[in-house]
Amino acid sequence: MQLTLFKTALRDQLRRPWMTLLVILSVALGVAVVVAVDLANASAARAFKLSTDAVIGKATHQIVGGARGVDENVYRDLRIAQGNRLSAPIVEEYATARELGAQTFRVLGVDLFAEAPFRTYLTANTTQVGLDAFAAFLTQPNSALVSAASAERYGVQVGDPITLVLGTRERTITLVGLLRPPNDISARALDNLILTDIATAQELAGMLGKLTRIDLIATEAHARALAATLPAGLRVASASEQAETITQLTAAFQLNLTAFSLLALAVGMFLIYNTTLFSVVQRRRVLGILRCVGVTGRQIFALILFEAAISGVVGALLGVGLGILLGRLTVALVTQTINDLYFSVTVRGVDVDALSILKGVLLGVLAAVLAAALPAAEAASVPAITALQRSDLESRLRRFIPAITTLGLALLVTGAATLWGINNVTVAFAGIFLGLFGVTLGVPLLTVALMRGVTQTLGRVGLLSRMAARTITQALSRTSVAIAALMVAVSVVIGVTIMIASFRTTVVNWLDQTLTADIYISPPITGGNRPTTMDATLVEKIRAVKNIRGSELIRNATARSPELGDVRLIAVTAVYNRVFKSANAGDVWRQVAGGSVVISEPLANRFRLREGDTITLLTDRGAKQFPIVGVYFDYSSDQGMLLLSLDVYREWWDDPNLSAVAIYVAPNADEAQVENAIRAAVGNAQVIVQSNKSLRDAALVIFDRTFAITATLRIIAIIVAFIGVLSALMALQLERTRELGTLRATGMTLRQLWQLTLLESGLMGATAGILAIPTGLLLSAILIYVINLRSFGWTIFFEPVPEVYAQAFAVAVCAALLAAVYPMVRLGRLQVAEALREE
Amino acid sequence: MKPILVVLLLGLFIVLTFAFFNATQTPQVSASIVGLQASTDIAGYARADHVRDFKFPDDHGPHPEFQTEWWYYTGNLQARDGRRFGYQLTFFRRAITPTAAPRESAWATNQIYFAHFALTDEKTNRHESSERFSRGAAGLAGATGKPFRVWLETWEATALNADGSRVQLRADEAGRALDLTLAATKPPVLHGERGLSQKSADAGNASYYISFTRLDTTGTLTLNGETFAVTGSSWMDHEFSTAVLGENAVGWDWFSIQLADNRELMLFQIRQKDGSIEPLSSGTLVEPDGTARRLSREQFSIEALASWKSGATGATYPAVWRVTIPAREMVLTITPVIADQEMRVSILYWEGAVEVSGTVRGVGFVEMTGYAGGK
Repeated sequence: MQLTLFKTALRDQLRRPWMTLLVILSVALGVAVVVAVDLANASAARAFKLSTDAVIGKATHQIVGGARGVDENVYRDLRIAQGNRLSAPIVEEYATARELGAQTFRVLGVDLFAEAPFRTYLTANTTQVGLDAFAAFLTQPNSALVSAASAERYGVQVGDPITLVLGTRERTITLVGLLRPPNDISARALDNLILTDIATAQELAGMLGKLTRIDLIATEAHARALAATLPAGLRVASASEQAETITQLTAAFQLNLTAFSLLALAVGMFLIYNTTLFSVVQRRRVLGILRCVGVTGRQIFALILFEAAISGVVGALLGVGLGILLGRLTVALVTQTINDLYFSVTVRGVDVDALSILKGVLLGVLAAVLAAALPAAEAASVPAITALQRSDLESRLRRFIPAITTLGLALLVTGAATLWGINNVTVAFAGIFLGLFGVTLGVPLLTVALMRGVTQTLGRVGLLSRMAARTITQALSRTSVAIAALMVAVSVVIGVTIMIASFRTTVVNWLDQTLTADIYISPPITGGNRPTTMDATLVEKIRAVKNIRGSELIRNATARSPELGDVRLIAVTAVYNRVFKSANAGDVWRQVAGGSVVISEPLANRFRLREGDTITLLTDRGAKQFPIVGVYFDYSSDQGMLLLSLDVYREWWDDPNLSAVAIYVAPNADEAQVENAIRAAVGNAQVIVQSNKSLRDAALVIFDRTFAITATLRIIAIIVAFIGVLSALMALQLERTRELGTLRATGMTLRQLWQLTLLESGLMGATAGILAIPTGLLLSAILIYVINLRSFGWTIFFEPVPEVYAQAFAVAVCAALLAAVYPMVRLGRLQVAEALREE
Repeated sequence: MKPILVVLLLGLFIVLTFAFFNATQTPQVSASIVGLQASTDIAGYARADHVRDFKFPDDHGPHPEFQTEWWYYTGNLQARDGRRFGYQLTFFRRAITPTAAPRESAWATNQIYFAHFALTDEKTNRHESSERFSRGAAGLAGATGKPFRVWLETWEATALNADGSRVQLRADEAGRALDLTLAATKPPVLHGERGLSQKSADAGNASYYISFTRLDTTGTLTLNGETFAVTGSSWMDHEFSTAVLGENAVGWDWFSIQLADNRELMLFQIRQKDGSIEPLSSGTLVEPDGTARRLSREQFSIEALASWKSGATGATYPAVWRVTIPAREMVLTITPVIADQEMRVSILYWEGAVEVSGTVRGVGFVEMTGYAGGK
């Protein structure tokens, strides 16, 4: 490029520093939103992982089986021959602890050196067991730890002996230390738990050479491969139903975060595109003059692209810094309210992904260059004299509105078709992008229509509103792009808010369903081999406790279906708290009691079953068809479940066993009192009494921290939308200095100009705000009803969040009004003649 | 208007720089075992307070009555194309109690093992370290003398012959692995007074210290999933003790040098709180025929010529040394192969491959402890 030309361009840039600054700022903002959202996403993902770990533990699978458990050599081989380090040996036994209220305790024997990946609440640095206690725990026979809360409840201290009744044997253990868990959920996990070294547990339980199970952290594929290497009699099982579900929930959460990240990319792109495009269009006159003095079209083209690349690079680099700062500040701000140091520090400690930075920089530079290419090509190709006139460009754009709108519609339809037609998440995201782009192409038409509406209604009231609306229509080449960019930014605020709220509702539902009952009484599960049942007289004693609203007897089983393979059954005596997708619960239950069944949503989706279909199961009395009378929401298994009446189950299967008794506490009764009454009623019987209500509440508190972190996404979206609107509209207004100068010269008062400018800016903000509402709704609806449903088989509850629309609209209008202030203040300071001389 | 632009850009740049550097801090979580290493109650343990007769290969094995024991393998290796590597594989044994109560379970033990594994790659200027812990029971970790073996899960040093002079080393960690055969070219060296290496004046503040000072090494080394055939030379230290350091000691600098003239040099100096060097710091010069000669504190000097500050931990270590042994007319300049060979494991220290030049050339390893935060 010729130096003179370059100097000319540079001088031109310096003559309008605000414009240059706004271009760079918009690139920086576009890049920042990408980087900040990625950072907030990573923090949210980590927070979600921490929450789920706290609620259900980290083990995904376990090795179980064998006559009396798993041979300990299996663990050594796993560790050494296979080099599997995400494994932990467990020896577990249930015992009545005489000095601890004669309650049934789980004696959990662990190898602390293998525990770090699994149970963080056990490690010494979080529980402050103390060195001496740790050494005694490892080396002294019959030494154990209990939680400080248990010790306090039963009035025992470090050094005290505790008598354990294990079946027919009695053993005395010594309390060598107390565990002080970092949060409520860990405290819950430690309730009714006696922690010992694995050697001690083997000796106490008489399980020398044996393990109850080996905990694993593995992918499904890895677990299957591992199962093939195990000795006969051993198998790999899911760690728990919750673990299975949580994998699903986590994946769904990740998917939504990815969607946010892509939306951020779209927002960034539009913001950059808008300002860069504007800066070139605005310089048409200068470029026309250059053409007139003999600069070739090719040189003009190269000059514009070069400039765009420079501001792209500068803006992108600043944007990376700004994004990291924005991401970190918002996360730090949000975690400040969270009263758990480990959680806060871990979430704040998320590193910036190099890929995200690269993505941001590429976006910044490419979007800037691409945005400049179109008008540059246009400015380079038209005859020199035409380039001097903007009116030509405007009139041409308006002529193209039908074509642009048609193209937009076509893109929207293609996007929708892609979404519905092809079952692939990446393709679905591409479909969303196409659709979104299609919607933005509809903006010129919608703007013209809206402005016509404004002229016809407000226009009667005053000349100024009519003028304002007409100015927007006149300058459509710039205003429509700005409105489209702002619409996308604002719609993301709406989309993000709805998604977060919906996801939270879903988690609440999930918690309600995994922890359905208030109090849960179940026989201890050891190794998975012993029959798990409860005595009928014990059940009667439990049901006789006062202040119970109702109870459910539950039997979990698996049955074979000729068409569907193995189906998990849940046989119950009543239904509480289950949410039916169709029909009402009371009615459905009457039919279930009469021999019909209801199926969970994932089962329905997997086999395309619906109300009115039948399902065949192989019972102990032969094949039997069961009519399906309903579908219920369930997150406990992605394979799906079938719910039937316990009486019906026992009629068809020879299985008198019970898996659990679920108790619902009467509305005004004290749950703890009922729990204690139940504990008293069961006496020395070997059952686990678990109070779910407080567990559910504690779990919700834990999860709400995660949703607090996702709030950062919202904050970022709002900040970016606000600054985006502000900078884009300020650029438009600054450019109009000369025009406004003319208006002043022709007799308009400064007050009238203020009104006009505020009206124009406000109208554009309002247009973007109005258009953003359906777009945001559409975005979240697609995410929920298409992408999530298809990926995971179950519905995320749509939570419409009514207040967000007003909020998003307010963000758009406030920023738009604010954008008019500086240009007007500046205009007020300028002499009319000076304003006219601007160019 | 222009100044505003400049000021804004500058401001954003500062923000960017701040954000970038702020991003690298991550919280450090240490394992509980580190606490046990700090335990100072030594009542009941055997002490290194007299000269003992070593019986090999038995004495290559563990001495569980002592509180601490380690088997230190370090070496300088070369791939066929000349690419240079350093490695360290160390097994530590630590007793939690002086004696073990008789127990039924195979998992019961008072012995804990931990191990450090590090590779240095001169070409890419990278040093990566990691550590593992295990109980010394249930076959997961342990050591034996006859035949010699020490292992922690998949990491191991296993004798290939009866006297333990040929050893196979194996370790692996996420794309990084080592599989080497080591053959001693000289008999075991007994440091200090026939293997009793005094560390400070108090009786018992000493270790039993045996080395294989030159082990021909062949095998493979894997880095980032790429495997190299390597040859080179290793050094092995076996040391066991109970409470080695005196009260005033803050750390030590230790050198193992293999000279091109087939001699080897071991030197250590213990640094004291007041900045002085423990008078009982010492060394050993091994002649080509395997004869070991003691070097007392007065017979050598170690002078740090430069220092290096760890960007990751902020600790400052000496970086280049001049070692002088006037009686032998030996002046050596010792330079790290790469600057950052800090072992960022639960105990922070620097241990790395070095290049030796001066009156005679050579290679070696240097260990420096006590430079990071006092411990």
